[in-house]
Formats: sequence, structure tokens, C-alpha cells
Amino acid sequence: MENHQTSLPMKIVVAVLFLFLLAPVLLVFPISFSGEQILSFPPESWSFRWYAALANNSQMMSAFTTSLGLALVVTVLSLAIGIPAAYAIVRLKVAGSQIWYNLFTAPLLLPTIVLGLAILIIFASTGLLGTFTGLVIGHLVVTLPYALRVLAVSLGNLELACEEAASSLGAKPLTVVRRVTLPMMAPGIVATAVLAFLVSFDEVVITMFLAGPRLTTLPVALFHHVESQADPLVASVSVLLVLLTLAIVLVVDRTLGLTRTFVK
Amino acid sequence: MTAGTATFLEPAKRRGTGNVAVALLLPIALVNAVGFIWPILNLAGLSIREALPGGGIGENFTAANWSGLLGDGFYIDLIVNSLVVSLTITLLTLLVSYPIALYLHRATGAWKSFLTVLVISPLLTSAVVRTYGWIALLSDTGPVVKAMTALGIPAPRLMFNTTGVVIGLTEILMPYMILALMAGFGRLDPRVEEAASTLGARPFAVFRRVVLPLTAPGIALGCLLCFVLAVSSFITPKLMGGGRVFLLATEIYDQAIVTLNWPLAATLSVLVLVIFGAALVLYSRAMRLLEQG
Amino acid sequence: MHQNIARDGKLASTDAHLSLEGVCKSYGNFTAVSKLDLGVRKGELIALLGPSGCGKTTTLRMIAGLIQPSGGRIAVAGREVTFAPPYARDMGLVFQSYALFPHMTVARNVAFGLEMRKLARSEIAARVEKALDMVQLRHLAERKPRELSGGQQQRVALARALVIEPSILLLDEPLSNLDAKLRDEMRTQIRDIQQELGITTVFVTHDQVEALSMCDRVVVMRGGAVEQVGTPHEIYEEPATSFVASFVGRTNRLKGIREGKGAVRLGPELVRISSYVADGEIELMIRPHRISIAWHEGQPVGNAADGENRLTASLARITFIGDLVQYHFHSAGGEIIVEQATARDTSQRRVGDMATLSWRVEDTFAFGAER
Repeated sequence: MENHQTSLPMKIVVAVLFLFLLAPVLLVFPISFSGEQILSFPPESWSFRWYAALANNSQMMSAFTTSLGLALVVTVLSLAIGIPAAYAIVRLKVAGSQIWYNLFTAPLLLPTIVLGLAILIIFASTGLLGTFTGLVIGHLVVTLPYALRVLAVSLGNLELACEEAASSLGAKPLTVVRRVTLPMMAPGIVATAVLAFLVSFDEVVITMFLAGPRLTTLPVALFHHVESQADPLVASVSVLLVLLTLAIVLVVDRTLGLTRTFVK
Repeated sequence: MTAGTATFLEPAKRRGTGNVAVALLLPIALVNAVGFIWPILNLAGLSIREALPGGGIGENFTAANWSGLLGDGFYIDLIVNSLVVSLTITLLTLLVSYPIALYLHRATGAWKSFLTVLVISPLLTSAVVRTYGWIALLSDTGPVVKAMTALGIPAPRLMFNTTGVVIGLTEILMPYMILALMAGFGRLDPRVEEAASTLGARPFAVFRRVVLPLTAPGIALGCLLCFVLAVSSFITPKLMGGGRVFLLATEIYDQAIVTLNWPLAATLSVLVLVIFGAALVLYSRAMRLLEQG
Repeated sequence: MHQNIARDGKLASTDAHLSLEGVCKSYGNFTAVSKLDLGVRKGELIALLGPSGCGKTTTLRMIAGLIQPSGGRIAVAGREVTFAPPYARDMGLVFQSYALFPHMTVARNVAFGLEMRKLARSEIAARVEKALDMVQLRHLAERKPRELSGGQQQRVALARALVIEPSILLLDEPLSNLDAKLRDEMRTQIRDIQQELGITTVFVTHDQVEALSMCDRVVVMRGGAVEQVGTPHEIYEEPATSFVASFVGRTNRLKGIREGKGAVRLGPELVRISSYVADGEIELMIRPHRISIAWHEGQPVGNAADGENRLTASLARITFIGDLVQYHFHSAGGEIIVEQATARDTSQRRVGDMATLSWRVEDTFAFGAER
């Protein structure tokens, strides 16, 4: 399966570069089992103490709960808002649909640090700062462009004739959407949901601007923890995060082929 | 619109269709307006408002933010430093990503899928986690320094300075570069390389005369993407710079959250957007040159 | 069986089950269909035949209600449906791509239209079974479309369109995605089912063989307008325009100048034509297999028989196609191809051999030259 053109030195170079790429993620696994008080590698002793510390860290645990709830709400809203928008732009060909599409996906072009600051300034005057609603809106600004993109591509690839066939068989427009369009879009909808969930769950920069002292997400809590003390506690959280992501990706890859969605 | 794509929602019902479409677009338009258009316009406006002591914003329009920024040696250094660091990171990322992308492009079947997943997986891992991994790797109690000391090599400081930030960001941006390169490698057909070698070209000549020109669009795209991401990156410089590395993005955060000088933060943000625009212009120039050449 | 159909294809609108009056469709400046009049009798199978872009598919989609006409009237059984939505039209539509619902089984696909009509579950099941029996696919009822071959998918699409007992069946290039052998089979099967059910059918195709072999009448379209409506025999033997003559069947095209009342001059020779067409430059068309060859073997060729045209020509090339052989001749009117069934002595002829070509005056189609 490997290409015969690749010479041995080239293979070694590629292997070393892959190691470089994966080293930081791989390293957190052994560190999470460290028995040391401070971050060091390789540690002098091994233990589960940092997993126990995590379970007892109410701040991290509540941040995790917030992140999970936030990501779920954002995912549901991304679909509820994204699907109708994609339908209006791709199927109804609303006037100026290309312009609308560009406008609604434009937030992706801006750096999150600028977006975060801009939203912070607006929210500060509208009382949305440090609220769950504020975080939901902030996350939607980033997840909706992804959602619209994936859904529009998925809808655009559907054969219009199927919907026309349903219509000629007597199905009214809403029935066509419910019985034919949406079921045929299912892979795109699942991909969108996963993407929105992961983007929301991992979002740091915008969240950092919008979160408050009482309401924070896991990545932000993690960030502030690393900023003050880089102890092995972070490794145990990281391992759980990586495993969660891995599980989602594996399940989706098995059912849909997420790699194809990404590489394309 | 051709006959083939027309739907049953056509002229006679256009008006009704229009209402439905507006209703369907309303939610996304609301989020876009509240979370994007309004904040960004407001931000641009802020960069020409005066900053009052204690985090206030004045009513008057002023060019003071801009003249202060561009007249202050600290900020000039900050901007130059940001650009130099970002360019360095971009070039390093290209260097370490190109072999992987080329190898992936030539790989086939399950092996290719597996390696592609490996390339994408860091992308799905939080930047905080990956930066933490680099802190563990490069800190004084980490394996790199330990190994060097054991070998009797005096270890340089790898953390809390620009070196650490460059190493960390290079790795963090690699997946983007690899994916952009692979997207641009579409035109690189192995048969073209084979044709070149049957015409008598040695491997390096094949690379320089055939592979490199054909992959140039991918290189340009990857560099644009990585430069833009490097200029605006915040997590890694903040955590690995240890407060000693000053870049545009970290300064924006400090001004917004610590100093509470929002007009200055807004001005720096607009500056970042201007740099983005300049990079885009350069990129499209480069693409046009490539197409002509 | 439809001998009472008017020759020019125009039925009184009361006579027609499906009637189109002055139907047109334009997109901006582009006219896809202009002023189309057509009447389709109950139980008739009619073909819309033409090259791609001739407006045949647009016409079908207007009948189905998938596109709204820019002008004109469409009526079914006397009831106007011009602007009715597709779901209220009661038409069975078979797409070129079949457009089966990929997420439903074959049985669910066929049941869909009946479910939309809110029939009782037991009746739906019975009718689905009957429809699948009709296309011999009952054993595949629980399969998904992607597990079926192209021909099977095609039959499912047909069953799905027919199970609702539509007032009109619309077929959009239904055979074009099938391989040649399957296409021949499906032609017969579709025609048999259509005759058995006596269902009024409009069939869009770019394939003249399909149109001529399956249909009661053929509408030849070009550039959004009708060139000719007629039975397959009329279309082939009495083409109304040079386009019809050249699009349907193979034909030779010769250029000449009109001379006198019933003749056209080709260089030194005269060719008689059966009817007056136009003055000046004339285009003559003769089918390759209607021409016979008398080779000049030293002795002179006899006089022309009554009602026969003659032309002297020299052999330029022979193309052997198995059961047919094509002789390419140079003549005063241009290149002429003559087709003959092959025989053992086919290869005897040499380039440059002279021959007298002859054909009947009625087989000479004459048209005013294209502007």
C-alpha cells in the first residue's frame, strides 16, 4: 500500500515529523498518571492521584458541566437555525443567496481574538456578559458558519429530482421536506452536529472574553489553571478531553466517514 | 438559473416563497447581526474614539489611538515582532509539513486514511491541551532538557521565551498547513513525475522542475492560512511566553481585560484585520503570478 | 389503433385528454419553449423528440407542474392545471435518474404516493404488491434502491409512478441510463404496460429509435418550437422540414437550384421533385438505403424509368459496417452515401468506379435552403 517512490530517508523524516506533530498530545497520557506534586517528565512515581484530585475539584467539574450543557444547547440551536437557512439559500434560492451565504459564513474569516473583543464590548452594555445566553450567542457566531457550510454542501449534493418526484406523487412542500429532504440530508446533519459540538466544546478565546467569574467553561478553566500552575491535574483533564473527542470521532467515522468530510 | 434546477416554487408564487425564505433566514440573520455585524462595526468605530481613564469611552472622534499607536516605539516593536515571529512560524510550519503532505498525497487506501486521521486529530484537540503538552515537553523538568543535560549538553531555555512560542505554534499550525498543501496537490499526478524521470530528470531535478511548481498553489494557500492564524494566535503565546513575549493578540487581550483600554484594544484589532487584508492581497498577487508563470 | 388522429396532430381541445395551448417558457432573454400547441388523446403514447436544448424536457416539466409556464394554458380532461402545484396534478413522473428515495425500501418508495393519498394501510399493501408484480420486482420489495441494478431501479420508478393510477404518465428520458440490450427490453415492457393500462403518456427522448418504435405519434422539437407532429411513419416518410428529415433517420443532403415547375438542377443534371417547395436554392434529401446503384460495366445503362431520378457518380470510399456497407460517391450535387445490405461481392468495387444512382421521385425530399 505504501508508495514505492518514497525512499527510506524520506520515510524516516516523515516518521520524525509525525512524532513531532503528535508528541504533545501523546505526552499528556503518561503525565496524567504522575505521582509527583509538580509537572515533570518522566515522573519519579506513578499514581491516580490527579484523577482523584480532578474528581474533587468542584471548579473543574462545574466548568465541565457548563461546557457539556453549552455544547449541547449550541449544537441543537446550530441545527435549528442552520437547516432552515441552508434550505432558504440552496433550495428556495432567495434573492441574493450568494451574498447571504457569504455574509453568514464571514465570521469564520475573522480571528477569534478580534471577534471575542468585539462581542465583549457589545455584551458589556447589554448585560449579556457572564451569562449562559451570552455564551450561547457567542458560540453560535462561530458554529453557525460551519453548520451553514456543511449543510449547504449536503443539501446542494442532494438530487433535486427526488424532491420533485415526491411532489409529483402528491406530497405538499412541508411533507416533501419532512419525508424526503431531511432524511436524505441525515449524514450532513450528523456531521454538522458533531462539528458544532466539538467547536463549541473546545472554544476558548471568545469564551474567555464572555465568561464570568461564576460561569466558565472547561477549556477556559483549564487555560487559567495552566496560566497559574502547570501541574499534572491539567493532564488528567486533557486525557478525558482527548478520549471524549476520540470517541465521538471514531463513532462518526464508523458510521459516516468523517475523514472524507474533512479531507474534501 | 437553468430549467434543470428550477423548483416548483416559481414565478406565480414568488412572493409567498419570498416570505417563507425571509422567515427561514431570520434566526441566522439575527445571530449574525447581534454577534457579528454590530460588534465589528462598533469595534471599528471604537478605534477612533478617545479612551477615558478607568475604562471609559469618550464621545468624541479622535485619531489619537492611531497616532499614539504608530508613534510609540513599544507598539512599533510589537508589530514588527509579531510579523517576524509569524513569518518565522509560517516558514517553519511549511518546512515540517511539506514532507508529510507529499507522503500523504502519494499514500493510498487504508494507510492514507489512517495517516489523515492522525493529521486531523490534533485539530480536534483543544489548543490549551496541546500547549500544555508542549509546556510539559520543554519545561526545565521536561524530557528534552533532562535528555540534553544527561548527554552533557548545556540546555538552552526553551520555555517562557520566543523559542518556546515558535516551537509550540509551529506544531499547532501543522495540521492546517498539511491539509492546505494536500488540497493544492490535486494537480500533482504521479504520472507527471514518472514522465519527467523517463525524460532523464534526476530525483532532485524532478522535485525542483516538476513537483515544486505544481504544488506552489498549495504552498501559497497554506502559508496564507498559517500566517493569518499565527498573527491572531493567543493561547499558545500567552501560556508559553510566560508574559515575556509580546505579540499583537496577547496585547489585545491585556488591553481589553487587564488595562480596560477598549479603544486601544479596538485599534490593535483593526490593525490585525489590516494585516489580514494585506496578506490576502499578497496571496492573490502570488496566485496571479503563478497562473501566468 | 388510433387511426382517427388528425394528420397534423392538432386535435380539437375537447378531443384531447391533455392539451397545451400557446404554452411558452422564457428565462430572461432566453426562450426555452415558444407558443407550443399540442393535444394528446386519451390512451395515446406521444413522444417529444429532439436534440438537447430543444425544449422537450422543459415542456414535460411544465406539464408536470415543476416549472410554471410564462404564458399559455395547460389542461387535463378539460380542467385547467396551468398553475396548479405538482402535488395537485395527479401525474406519474419517471425521471431520467429514476430519483428513487434512497432512504426507503422499494416497497416504501412505491407506497409513497398512496400514503400521500391517505389510503387505508391494507389497500396500500395490496396495490404496492400489484404494482411490483406488474414490473416483476415483488421479490425485491424490501431492498434499498442502491442494492438494485439500473434496470431494476428503472422498473421501481415506473411502478411508483403507475401505482397512483395517474391520469397522465410522464417519462423523461427513462431509458438513457441503461445499456443497449436492456434498453431494447425496457422499450417493449414500457409499451406493453402502457397499452395494457391504456394510460395517456408523454415520453421525452432524444433517441429517434425509441420515438419511432414505441409511440403512437411523435412531436419533433427544435429550438423551443415544434417542427412536426405525426405518426412515426409520417415523420419518417413525409418530413415537414429539412431538420426533421435529417434528425430522424440518416439522409443525404444535396444542394441545387430550382428549374421549372418540378425539377432541381444539380450541375449538368436535373432531378425531379414531387411537390412545389420554393424558388432559388433548394436542398434535396434522399435516404441512403432508398438509392440503388447501377455500376457502369462497359455497357450503357438503360433509360430512366417513370417516376425515377438518376445521377451519375464516382465511388470515393467504401465503409464496411458488418451487415451494412456504405458507398460514398462524388456527384454533381455533392457527396452521396448509399447503403446496401452486404453481400459476398461487396469488396469487388474500386475507388473511382462509375455508377448511375437512381431512386424514386417520391423519395426525394425537397426543401427551401436554410436561411
